[in-house]
Amino acid sequence: MRHVMRILAIVFAALVLAALQSTTPPYAMLTGPIRTAGHQSDTVASATLSLAIEDISNARTIEYEHFGKAMKLETSGVWVVIDARLQAFRQTMPIRAATLVGASGRCYRQSERAAGAPDSLAAKTLQPGLPTTGIFIFELPEDETTDMTLVVSEQYDPQLQDEVSVKLDPLVAAPQDQLDLGLNGD
Amino acid sequence: MTEPDKAKASGKWRTRFLAAVGGITAALLSLGYSVSKQNATDTVPKVGVSTLIDAGRWNVSILKASSGPDLPTGLSVSPGLKAIVVEMLLENISSESSNLYGDLVMLSNFPDTQKPHYYLLRDRSILWDLQPRMPEAVAAVWEVPADLELPPVLEVRVQGVQFKPRDNLYAAPGWFPHGDVAQVSLPLSASEPGNAR
Repeated sequence: MRHVMRILAIVFAALVLAALQSTTPPYAMLTGPIRTAGHQSDTVASATLSLAIEDISNARTIEYEHFGKAMKLETSGVWVVIDARLQAFRQTMPIRAATLVGASGRCYRQSERAAGAPDSLAAKTLQPGLPTTGIFIFELPEDETTDMTLVVSEQYDPQLQDEVSVKLDPLVAAPQDQLDLGLNGD
Repeated sequence: MTEPDKAKASGKWRTRFLAAVGGITAALLSLGYSVSKQNATDTVPKVGVSTLIDAGRWNVSILKASSGPDLPTGLSVSPGLKAIVVEMLLENISSESSNLYGDLVMLSNFPDTQKPHYYLLRDRSILWDLQPRMPEAVAAVWEVPADLELPPVLEVRVQGVQFKPRDNLYAAPGWFPHGDVAQVSLPLSASEPGNAR
């Protein structure tokens, strides 16, 4: 009888420990981003920055001029160009990270292919108190554009830093054949 | 010898016997494991040209190889060098944009072990992130001395990565090396100057 009790106690202890281990919040989650979410019609503000969407367009091809060179970028999906207004509240900060979460839940980072496009927010730095407008450019498969969320933070994979996300309205317009983004670098 | 002494002695022998059995079993298991691992690394599946290879995070089809003085951008390599260009179709099948394809392919019958540079053929420029579910034609380029004798057939090894929902350090999800998943024998053609894509 004593043996049985001892074995039961060991099994019980093992179960308790396994439960504790499997429910321990991972380090990556404990030090994850501080999230603020909102809708496209709102200005979504966290403690350090705010984000407002001004316009969204989609196109098969984007064109712009980069240091006198005409750039024409094609894609197998669509380009989504988001005009946004950003503001920093406390300190000077760049916004390096912008991700579009598509309908399937996959994360599409802003396109490095179009990094030289004019007015790109990726190349700007926010100064506190000075609202800054510009564009984010994404490339993604067309079926992902039915349900999109824009996620913005100072850098990718923020740890204990603000991350602002905006749920976008479904795109109603079919993508234009081409979208001219204008001049850059002059 | 009294009865308790006898019992003590036989208990001692039993302990030693069990320890010996345990030790030998552990040694045999370890030997068997390393032998089976050795066999496993020697048998990388050989895959044909243009066949889809599942490398974990990437779906890749190796298409063709050429060597010449031109880079996929249309520019020439530095004087005294030539470029080995391996074209492939590459798709990111993970859930987020990624540029971690540096270790994806290597040349196994070639002394140079540096990582290749990748180019996006659509833009004729350097490849950055690959977006999920958007396959692209890309080229991996090794720059080697111009007078180096190249083998007529390149052996291209594709290295896989494996997804772990929780890694050992931060319990964060991530992709980790998983060894070679395929080997492709790729005839190497010489490209004329100005003909590179």
